[in-house]
Amino acid sequence: MDKRTLLVAEGIDKRFGITHAVNNVSLEIAAGEIRGLIGENGSGKSTFCQMLCGIYSIGEGTFTLDGEKLHIRNQVDANNAGISIIVQEMGTLSGLTVAENIYLGHEEPFMHMGVKDTRAMNREAQQILDSYGFGRIKAGTMIDHYNFEDRKLVEIVKATYMKPKILVIDETTTALSQNGRLELYKIMDAIRADGRTVIFISHDLGEVLAHTDTVSVLRDGEFIGTVNSSEVTEDDLKRLMVGREIGTAYYRTDYGQPITGEAVLSVEDVTVPGELNDISFVLHKGEILGFGGLSECGMHEVGKAIFGASWDREGKVKLADGTEINDIPTAISHSIAYASKDRDNESIILNESIRNNIVLPSLNDLASHGLLNGRKLNRFADEQAKNMQTKMQNVGQFVSDLSGGNKQKVVLARWLGKGSDILVLDSPTRGIDVKVKQAIYALMAELREQGKAIIMISEEIPELLGMADRIFIMKDGRINGEFTRSPELGEEDLIAKMV
Amino acid sequence: MSTIIQKLKGTKVHGYVLLLAMLLFFYGVFKILTPGNFGSPANLYSYLQSSIIYSVGGCGLYFIVVMGLFDFAVGANIVLSSIVGVLLSQHFGYIGFIVGCLGCGTLIGFLIGTLYNQLNVPSMIVTVGLMLILECVAVIVAGGVKQTLAPGLRFFSGAPGNIILAGLAFVLMYFILNFTKIGTYCNAIGSNEFTAKNMGINVKKYKLIGFMLLHFFVGIMAILTVSYGTTMTALTGMSTMARNFQPLMGTFFGVAFRKYGIPISAIVIGEFIISIIFNGFVALGAPTTIQNVVTGAALLAIVALTARGARGSVVK
Amino acid sequence: MEKKNNKSPEQSRLRSFLTGDKLKAALPLIGFVIIIVVMHIMTNGKILTPKKLRLLFSQIYYPTIVATGVFFIMTLGSIDFTEGSTLGVASIVVSVLSFYSIPLAIAGGILTGAAIGAINGFFHVKFRLPSFIVTICTMYLFRGVCAYFTTETAVPASNAIKSLDQDWLKITITLAVLAVAFFLFKFTRIGNDVKAVGSGETAARFSGVRTGRVKFLAFVAAGALTGLAAFVNVIKVGSITSTAGNQLETQILISLVLGGLPITGGAKVRFSNIIIGTLMYAILNSGLSILGYEPQVQQLIKGIVFLIFVALTIDRKALKVIK
Repeated sequence: MDKRTLLVAEGIDKRFGITHAVNNVSLEIAAGEIRGLIGENGSGKSTFCQMLCGIYSIGEGTFTLDGEKLHIRNQVDANNAGISIIVQEMGTLSGLTVAENIYLGHEEPFMHMGVKDTRAMNREAQQILDSYGFGRIKAGTMIDHYNFEDRKLVEIVKATYMKPKILVIDETTTALSQNGRLELYKIMDAIRADGRTVIFISHDLGEVLAHTDTVSVLRDGEFIGTVNSSEVTEDDLKRLMVGREIGTAYYRTDYGQPITGEAVLSVEDVTVPGELNDISFVLHKGEILGFGGLSECGMHEVGKAIFGASWDREGKVKLADGTEINDIPTAISHSIAYASKDRDNESIILNESIRNNIVLPSLNDLASHGLLNGRKLNRFADEQAKNMQTKMQNVGQFVSDLSGGNKQKVVLARWLGKGSDILVLDSPTRGIDVKVKQAIYALMAELREQGKAIIMISEEIPELLGMADRIFIMKDGRINGEFTRSPELGEEDLIAKMV
Repeated sequence: MSTIIQKLKGTKVHGYVLLLAMLLFFYGVFKILTPGNFGSPANLYSYLQSSIIYSVGGCGLYFIVVMGLFDFAVGANIVLSSIVGVLLSQHFGYIGFIVGCLGCGTLIGFLIGTLYNQLNVPSMIVTVGLMLILECVAVIVAGGVKQTLAPGLRFFSGAPGNIILAGLAFVLMYFILNFTKIGTYCNAIGSNEFTAKNMGINVKKYKLIGFMLLHFFVGIMAILTVSYGTTMTALTGMSTMARNFQPLMGTFFGVAFRKYGIPISAIVIGEFIISIIFNGFVALGAPTTIQNVVTGAALLAIVALTARGARGSVVK
Repeated sequence: MEKKNNKSPEQSRLRSFLTGDKLKAALPLIGFVIIIVVMHIMTNGKILTPKKLRLLFSQIYYPTIVATGVFFIMTLGSIDFTEGSTLGVASIVVSVLSFYSIPLAIAGGILTGAAIGAINGFFHVKFRLPSFIVTICTMYLFRGVCAYFTTETAVPASNAIKSLDQDWLKITITLAVLAVAFFLFKFTRIGNDVKAVGSGETAARFSGVRTGRVKFLAFVAAGALTGLAAFVNVIKVGSITSTAGNQLETQILISLVLGGLPITGGAKVRFSNIIIGTLMYAILNSGLSILGYEPQVQQLIKGIVFLIFVALTIDRKALKVIK
């Protein structure tokens, strides 16, 4: 590659308190290149890009764009310098029109002595939308009237209409449908063809290899190296990310074990408006039942429906003894556990101690004649947390101080402490580093051996293939395919039923 | 027919139809119950004149409420600003009156906004504290006596003065919402403060602007209030709390009808509806002490219908 | 979030103490001592005479009872502005019923308070409206009710109930309320539940806490306690005017905040917040009146002290965005 160098990062460094998020990273990116940026969660890739884009201030080091040193204080500065970003979460704002969203922070061209020319703004925004082929989105309409996918498209327009020199795409594809992804890939290719640059962050290594020219790897905040996408495999990338061979004991290795005939839970004709459409299945003792699909397919609602946490659910969720589960307290007292995908909001109370998080579902069991004994609660929490090898000072520590992996250990500790027999685990390894991941897989296999029934909802296909006895693939709120554990089963089989 | 309805869904017309239907409903109910002493054109005109005072405050509160903030010091500032205005009017006539009310109002808004930004404490708490403080300041400024607006300075006490001033306030509000960045930015901050900040919006600055605009409108309200009543007495003991609610009711109407794009009309018509309900009860022979009961119940009904939180959302 | 961390360990330890939880937890007690010492010096020791102390205690019986109920609401992270109007309405009920039977009067007061609390809780929980909006509306509403019944004349209470104005009775009731509340908060799951809802309502719901019920009952309990306080109030004042309970809500809010109760509620509340807070408020109050300040100046000083205390004690980490 002897293209012109566009961006130079020199000695970029950032600390958050004691965490060294980005450690002295230096790298160069050429014009007309699509550069993948990968690393595990907490490797510093997002922080690095967010410094480039003005979301975080730069700790130390400099970015040089086209030979000019950058001084960026916020996203608008970055935009003006020719850098824009599409973020992971919702980036458009409710209560504003589409045009107001597109031009937010860049109203100057339409301002005349402090007066805004709203009509001109709408007209130009509509022209831009039309030029992207998104003419069905109307510039003057409130953004609230559009769905998540369309709002994401508006965000893509917002980030690219001003022809940035560098576009950062931070894990956006997970939020998009196949069509939306194709639109995004087209835009990426167009930027490259124009001699400009894309930095593409994704956890989907296959996608990274397919759509980038080069890939840079970060690990624990340090820059590991850059490779040509055409010369490496996914396994090579994984090795670079983790820094060692991934052990063979990662997923389950057993195949062909029959599923017991003993049903512990049956779901009959469950419908949740806008989420699930007439779902029925049976969960057996000693089984890991996997649910997969695209993120909006409704599979996450399955977990909530079983746990009695869905709104307006129709149909029945019944235990083997006929007990119907219609609310969360009933679910918990009948041995159902639920670990949510939205861990920080739904699974744990961040601003509360590890102790109180662990004892909360078990309070009724721990009380004698309705009375609680503080020492007994402490002992219980301590025991459960240590069982899970949670890294902590003591159980009085607040959960907000813990890493993602340790938070998940607290979640699992509370349900193991409760002694639940049916575990609904939604995205159990989301945002968790490899070591804890491995521990969680081992635990799941062990629980399965003990005869517990596990529902694992996951957006990661290898995880489903590696851990589940049976796999349901969902699409548009329905079960679209059923698979039984087998070494022959491949990712493509599952994907075919997802899209 | 059904296609027309479909087409009008969510448009301004849809919003106006809803508002006018409510207006007609309440008017009709009281007109039927007490045809004699309620709802003549002259009556309606007088209801309107009292309700537009609150509408002005409602417009000001809109800037703060869309950002998710709150202000309990509005009432205290109405009292303080009108006293300052009356005191200045004794030396500088109309100029002193107007500048006194608007200047004092805006200055207090600046103070509240700055304190909120500096202390990093919820606006509800800051303004409760400031309400206590401003009430005392008003008593001290007034010297503990009733302040009366001189008879020669009462242009705004009735039509057309009050209608002209309130009309100007509504036009100003319309201009700010539609033809400046402030309206967009206030909405953006209310929608997602983090994203707004990342977009380069100076959140603290616009919150400060929001508080200053609110209290500028409070200043206008002070002019109208003291002109309408001709006297103002400063009292302590949270007595100004009651003055926060009437403008707030209009604001809730405005926020509820934001999605139809007619917040200002909703504030004005909403306040008029409240005025009709209250006067309807009075016409029915209810004692004036019942006013608080009616206002409290009406406000509760309005928020229950319009400000209902999403299911599963955390509401404190 | 964006500060560089290049200070020496000692410095950062000091810093973490000054900004951290330890100081925040100790602040109410420090403030308590400071206020006593300052008032003692400024009043030349007049505040700590037995006579003044007895007067001071006579002022805190019913605020302590009310504050105990509101403590649970504020632990939820919610707020209640109806204490004053509830006290007024309940006091009227107690006074009227006191002519028939004292137990009936007590029960009537408690039920009235509980009913108002139930209205608050119902609108707050069922309609998912912010508690401060609901309770402001109902405060307004019940102030009107109170005014309506006291328009012509004050509502008198029977001589029988007035004869109960004994220190031992009021002390017993107050201590009993504190003891029962402490027991429930510390040794049953009620305390865990309200704290869990305060720190993370969604997660609490997913942990099996019936959050709606907990919130509703907290409002009912706070209302009932205010109703009981109305009984203590009637014993003391004998007849009810339209100003009964005026400003009580602010007094309670300021007391609890002075006592160190974080306005966000949740895990960091302490039961001692109630006691330290109400005592501190009473000392501040009686100190300011011994010093001969006019009412408006007293209110001014209270307002300033309130703001300073909130700014120092608030848990900003618990508020993602400060509204």
